[in-house]
Amino acid sequence: MDARRARDALSAYLFISPSALIVAVFGVFPLFFTVFISLFKWRLTRGSFLGLGNYESLFGAHLAPLLALAASIGGVVGAAILLGKSATFRRVPTPRRIFGFALLACSIAGLVLSLPTVASQGDKEVYDSLRVTIWYTVLTVPVQLVLGLGTALLLTQKIPGRQAFRVMYLLPYIAPTVATAAVFELLFSLRPDSFANQLIGLFGARPLQWLQEPRGVVPLMLGAGLHPSAGVIASYWKGWVRGPSLALVSIVLFSWWVFVGYYALIYINGLGSIPRQLYEAAEVDGAGKVRSFFTITIPLLSPTTYFLTILGIIGTFKAFTHLYVLRTPAAAGTADPISVEIFFTFFRKAQLGYSSAMSIVLFLIVLGLTLIQQKTLERRISYGD
Amino acid sequence: MATEDLLVAAGRQRPPGPRHGARRVILYVVLSLGAFACILPFLYMVSTSLKSSAETITRVSPVPFSPDFWPSALRWDNFAEAWTLASFSLYFRNSIITAAVTVAGVIVTSSLAAYAFAKIRFAGSRAVFAVLLATLIIPESVYLVPNFIIVTRLGWYDSLAALTVPFMASAFYIFLLRQFFAQIPNELVESARIDGAGHLRSLVSIVLPLSGAPVFTVAFLAFVGSWNSLQWPLVATRTPRWRPLTVGLTTFISDAGPQNQLIMAGAMIAIVPVILLYFLAQKRFTEAIARSGIKG
Repeated sequence: MDARRARDALSAYLFISPSALIVAVFGVFPLFFTVFISLFKWRLTRGSFLGLGNYESLFGAHLAPLLALAASIGGVVGAAILLGKSATFRRVPTPRRIFGFALLACSIAGLVLSLPTVASQGDKEVYDSLRVTIWYTVLTVPVQLVLGLGTALLLTQKIPGRQAFRVMYLLPYIAPTVATAAVFELLFSLRPDSFANQLIGLFGARPLQWLQEPRGVVPLMLGAGLHPSAGVIASYWKGWVRGPSLALVSIVLFSWWVFVGYYALIYINGLGSIPRQLYEAAEVDGAGKVRSFFTITIPLLSPTTYFLTILGIIGTFKAFTHLYVLRTPAAAGTADPISVEIFFTFFRKAQLGYSSAMSIVLFLIVLGLTLIQQKTLERRISYGD
Repeated sequence: MATEDLLVAAGRQRPPGPRHGARRVILYVVLSLGAFACILPFLYMVSTSLKSSAETITRVSPVPFSPDFWPSALRWDNFAEAWTLASFSLYFRNSIITAAVTVAGVIVTSSLAAYAFAKIRFAGSRAVFAVLLATLIIPESVYLVPNFIIVTRLGWYDSLAALTVPFMASAFYIFLLRQFFAQIPNELVESARIDGAGHLRSLVSIVLPLSGAPVFTVAFLAFVGSWNSLQWPLVATRTPRWRPLTVGLTTFISDAGPQNQLIMAGAMIAIVPVILLYFLAQKRFTEAIARSGIKG
């Protein structure tokens, strides 16, 4: 028996060795190697040892604002965990809730004051690209969730031709991104006779620059620019008030076009696992369609929503292909997210060390977001037991 | 009959009243509008790819119902011109070989590993599996620089190996297959083992034949991942020797300048094979995507 067990173990190790070897060399080791590279001035070959020099260029040399920023972020996370833990539907101000809200308020104030200082002492391009990534995530993931769920609800109705609709809705997701992005580059070009400009022209609007427009959407809509402010803090937050550039918004439209069908497909799967009897019972109890949507469908879909949210956030933080194809020099970096910034720092500027430091920071952000989502959202998910 | 079943039966027998009919019309209108939005860019691509260079500027319309949306005469030459200008023959061949080699590698390594994790008890199984899964949340940007250096040191820079070997194993595919293999009854595997078959035999002759759908899913995802990848091939290739279609198309787009009809013809060339495959096996495609949830 022992001989057989030993033989079993031997075959198991042989079986996993090809995968283990490849993942070890190209998946695990590179993580540590990146940390190592990020400590050097590394052009195409290894240069002098910088220690934390690359990170200093990223964040700036002064420690105090950095610590304040870290404390504020920690405070927001702590408050989120505290408030997430306390009973969700009770509005009673328990001491825990009061403390949680106080902590949240203080941390947000800390964030408002410290972030501009950190951004001004660090690498401006990197902070701008992080801002682009955040705008991109905020504008894509929630909208795709809502539109995807709506589409899924329509596509699960029992009607003839349902399968044909499903096939069409998934086409944008199936088609190679480089090619579809090339099509959108043409659709959203700045020419007055481009598809997008002719389309808004039907509604009487004047032509826009679309993918080549570096100005934010808020001043564009107001028809006036925001005056630059003198103070570091005010001018930083004005950057947020300006909103994403129209160039980025055009890319966001592309993302909706690609991903709504995909989100719908995943939601259709989730909807299929909700027992029909629940709806019938609710109907007998006198609950209307809207009521049972909010008390049955939404809660029982929460595992799907959780999965899509995590996937969406990780996905938007590392999204590259369409952002690379749709970026234009005219947009002046207002549509370049952190992933593109990292790529160019390596590929065009050949700063391997600095690029590695940036990617480590990106990794830590993604890791942090994943952990926060697990801590705050997971306990609110109903697995329908 | 249980109460629940009665309720279900009652729900099914609701007669289709006039309100039902109106609802259905609205449903179709909304669904058609959405489908129209999904299809429209493809129509624009088709019509532009068949126009003359001048027509892409003078004869344009955002609505397919307008004659200006379509070319006055179909210019199929555009495809021939784009094909030769962008040396698509070479890029196509490269993409197909790269994807095929990657898929073959993925199937072999992942099914072996998934079998070991699902069907064999061995020390360290859980730990190794946990480490594998942990690699999934690392963003690709982190791999860019170190893998470029590793591949260069191995002497693989600008070669087929650089484009395929790093992607021949992924924790995600192992995880997908393991979930399925675990559902196959152990008795089946055990009985084969008693008959003197080794683990490799039982994987090949018992487990794999029962796993058509998940293996297709993994093959499909590995294929799409390889076919669509852009960032890594940009970094890992220097000459057109092994450059895939994605890189070729991106270079072509920036080189072609204002020749819209050629760019659209190029995009068509890249899209059509994938769409054809999709129409041929749409049921399996949708199942595969629903089962997974990842696009590169």
